[in-house]
Amino acid sequence: MTIERLKKKYDGKSVVKDISFEIPKGKIISLIGPNGAGKSTVMGMISRLIAKDGGNIKFEDKDLAKWKSKELAKRLAILTQHNNVQMKLTVRELVAFGRFPYSGSHLTAEDLEMIDKAIEYMELKEYENRFIDELSGGQRQRAYIAMVIAQDTEYVLLDEPTNNLDIYHSTNMMKMVRRLCDELGKTVVLVLHELNYAAFHSDYICAFKDGKIAKFGTVEEVITKEVLSEIYNVEFEIMKIAGKPLTIYY
Amino acid sequence: MDISALLKGDVEQWNIFLVSRLPRLLAILCTGIGMSVSGLIMQQLCMNKFVSPTTGATLSSAKLGILIALVFLPGSTLWGRAIFSFVFALLGTWIFVWFIQSIKFKDTIMVPLIGIMFGNIIGGITGFLAYRYEMTQALTSWESGHFSLVLRGRYEIVYLVLPLIILAFIFSSHFNIVGMGKEFSSNLGVNYKVVLVMGLSIAAAITASIVVVVGSISYIGLIIPNIVALYKGDKLSGTLPDTALLGALFVLISDMLARTIIAPYELPISFVIGIIGSLMFIAIIFHKLKGGKKLQKGVGINGNKCSCS
Amino acid sequence: MEINAAALKEKRRMLWILGALVLLSIVFYMTIDVNLSNSKFLAFSMKLRTPKMVAMVVAAFAIGAASIVFQSVINNTIVTPCLLGMNSLYTLIHTVIYFFFGAASIFVVNAKASFLLDLVMMVVTATIIYGVLFKKTNYNILYILLIGTVLSSLFGSMQEAMIRVMDPNDYDNLLLTLVAGFDNINGEIIVLCIVLLLLVAFFLRKDIALLDVITLGKHQAINLGVDYDKCIRRMLIGVTIYIAIATAMVGPVSFLGLILSNLSRQLLKSYRHTYLILGASMIGMLSLVAGQILVEHVFTYAIPVSIFITLGGGIYFLFLLLSAKKG
Repeated sequence: MTIERLKKKYDGKSVVKDISFEIPKGKIISLIGPNGAGKSTVMGMISRLIAKDGGNIKFEDKDLAKWKSKELAKRLAILTQHNNVQMKLTVRELVAFGRFPYSGSHLTAEDLEMIDKAIEYMELKEYENRFIDELSGGQRQRAYIAMVIAQDTEYVLLDEPTNNLDIYHSTNMMKMVRRLCDELGKTVVLVLHELNYAAFHSDYICAFKDGKIAKFGTVEEVITKEVLSEIYNVEFEIMKIAGKPLTIYY
Repeated sequence: MDISALLKGDVEQWNIFLVSRLPRLLAILCTGIGMSVSGLIMQQLCMNKFVSPTTGATLSSAKLGILIALVFLPGSTLWGRAIFSFVFALLGTWIFVWFIQSIKFKDTIMVPLIGIMFGNIIGGITGFLAYRYEMTQALTSWESGHFSLVLRGRYEIVYLVLPLIILAFIFSSHFNIVGMGKEFSSNLGVNYKVVLVMGLSIAAAITASIVVVVGSISYIGLIIPNIVALYKGDKLSGTLPDTALLGALFVLISDMLARTIIAPYELPISFVIGIIGSLMFIAIIFHKLKGGKKLQKGVGINGNKCSCS
Repeated sequence: MEINAAALKEKRRMLWILGALVLLSIVFYMTIDVNLSNSKFLAFSMKLRTPKMVAMVVAAFAIGAASIVFQSVINNTIVTPCLLGMNSLYTLIHTVIYFFFGAASIFVVNAKASFLLDLVMMVVTATIIYGVLFKKTNYNILYILLIGTVLSSLFGSMQEAMIRVMDPNDYDNLLLTLVAGFDNINGEIIVLCIVLLLLVAFFLRKDIALLDVITLGKHQAINLGVDYDKCIRRMLIGVTIYIAIATAMVGPVSFLGLILSNLSRQLLKSYRHTYLILGASMIGMLSLVAGQILVEHVFTYAIPVSIFITLGGGIYFLFLLLSAKKG
């Protein structure tokens, strides 16, 4: 996926200014940056949830806007932060929606197999007949990820998947993301607030500031004292743990 | 009406002037001042800019009171009906305020919604009683407010508005303090409950004395204080005269419109005010919505992009 | 193939039971107090009762379906099109047409032409007004509700003001077509309404399946490949037509849709809109027909159904509003 000169304005105020980068296939890419830097907006635009004001997004050598929504849904999945279902829906029924782009509401045997696999992958078997609104935040988040897995797309976009999760669940979430990439060969793009999760689990990092890309590169290239202090305006120390750079800020 | 004839001392003309025109003018002024001030008081006390006699069940309760007086005391005078109307308006408003205070959340939009629904239910009861006792016809004359029946001898209750307004002026700083909250007012040595009950009683009394004479007119109490607050801020003692004057002006202009649109006949003023008032109210809501949006944007752009919730 | 066959079976059974109850109540309504051996009397009472019965069934279906679809479109269960003033808009449009065309025009003399013109105007104005409303409030449900209730009173005031200005002859004619109620249904357009209802249902049959996905929220729906904006627009047009049909046939019944849709959701606990719609309309048919039997034969017309609906609906709405906020 290639992004060229992407722009977005809200009420005359530019929030994304001429952003260009390329998303490498089969890797985990984390978008980081302070509040209002434009990372979620960029995420929204590359997943067609938000209309862009300028620039080009090429997905598999074809303009994103020219893709049929249904075809795109088989190749690219997005999970946003706010998921609020008013329906009485069980976990299994929710996951089954992941097959909607393929079969509509008439599921095939293959669909059922994919649904079962996704539920098992996210360790949700024991909850599969519980209603979504009766689950804890972590379980619900996993159910949504399971839906995305059932959607079986090459690209998975997650907007702050660790938001509102405790340490146990967010760590597990990140391990899960790593497995999605390593075992299932998916390209994962994340918006993350926790720098150390981004540093520990991703392959590439794209750092935003004021609607521009401050630095795009491998984890080692971006997670440095200089780059981070510049972006966040606070002091940083970088340490190496298990061969990965970890940050301390004060 | 011929002014030169009036100046020449034409008895006939003077009679029209004193029996019909002057009472009408005074009733209009009292209605405008009264409804907008009672709206202002209610907004202050409930800490919500969308509360008013219309959205706080006061108006519908006052109507219920009149109907009950008509049904159970058929021989009651205008004063008798006014007292019934006042008692019911008071009860209705108290129940509403008690209701929104006992539920812990204070969502700005939720409070008027509850008030409107509460008013609808009271209106339903009124409708049922009217149907039951075959009073539907009588009810419609209070359903839509108009000044065409305001004549000498049957409108003087409206003057009750004046002492009530003066009372409101005297206690305006008290209302202001109570509007800041329970802790705030006891900190300043103001008895929260007494002032709250008194303020609501004044608002209810004003509403009742107007409804019994002209019938129900909505929206004045809602929009006038909001318009004044747009350019003058929220301090009650400073905004009270503005609110009263603007309210009077608004009703006067609406009345002229009501009389000229289909002259020589006249439209009930409640329709004219209903149309202008609801349009203005929607404009005010949109204005507030826009202001709120900008505030959110300052915090972060992520928040308001999610329309799914 | 189904993902949850057992639960689905149970829901289907519930719908069958509901359907049986509806049939039973209809048969009861048609035959109560009728002397079956006297063929003339039988024919007379059938002629009297059939249009009423059909009108109730049609209105229940229209209101039930429109409310469920509308709620899912804006993703909230305490709102119905009628609470936002859609039926007052219809009454207003109907009055406006009488006002401008006058009693002699084809659009007034011919009930069908009049109704079709109403429908076209209704679809155009409603999609504009409510489209702007949703967009401007950014789908904030409380603002939509507040403005909707104000709009509803605005349409009411405009309509009443117009009536005052109207030519008395036009007014008499208007009253005949306007003051519809369960005791005074608008018989001339029944067939037209049924045809329209079925046509709309046919055209939107695919969108109903999309609605299941749309209730996951806008972002999820787009993610799963739904052409969101177009689908919503089609749905809203359908809802408008259904409300217009219901209002034209039996008059405004503000709270009925709210009660029906929520009862159906509670009873069926399903996300499948085909089921929810069937459930809501059958609950509607059952309660309307049963209510009518009560009003006609037990209370002998002492209390109109509409007052029951307003009172019960208002209290139910307050309850929903409060419990939704706490939960």
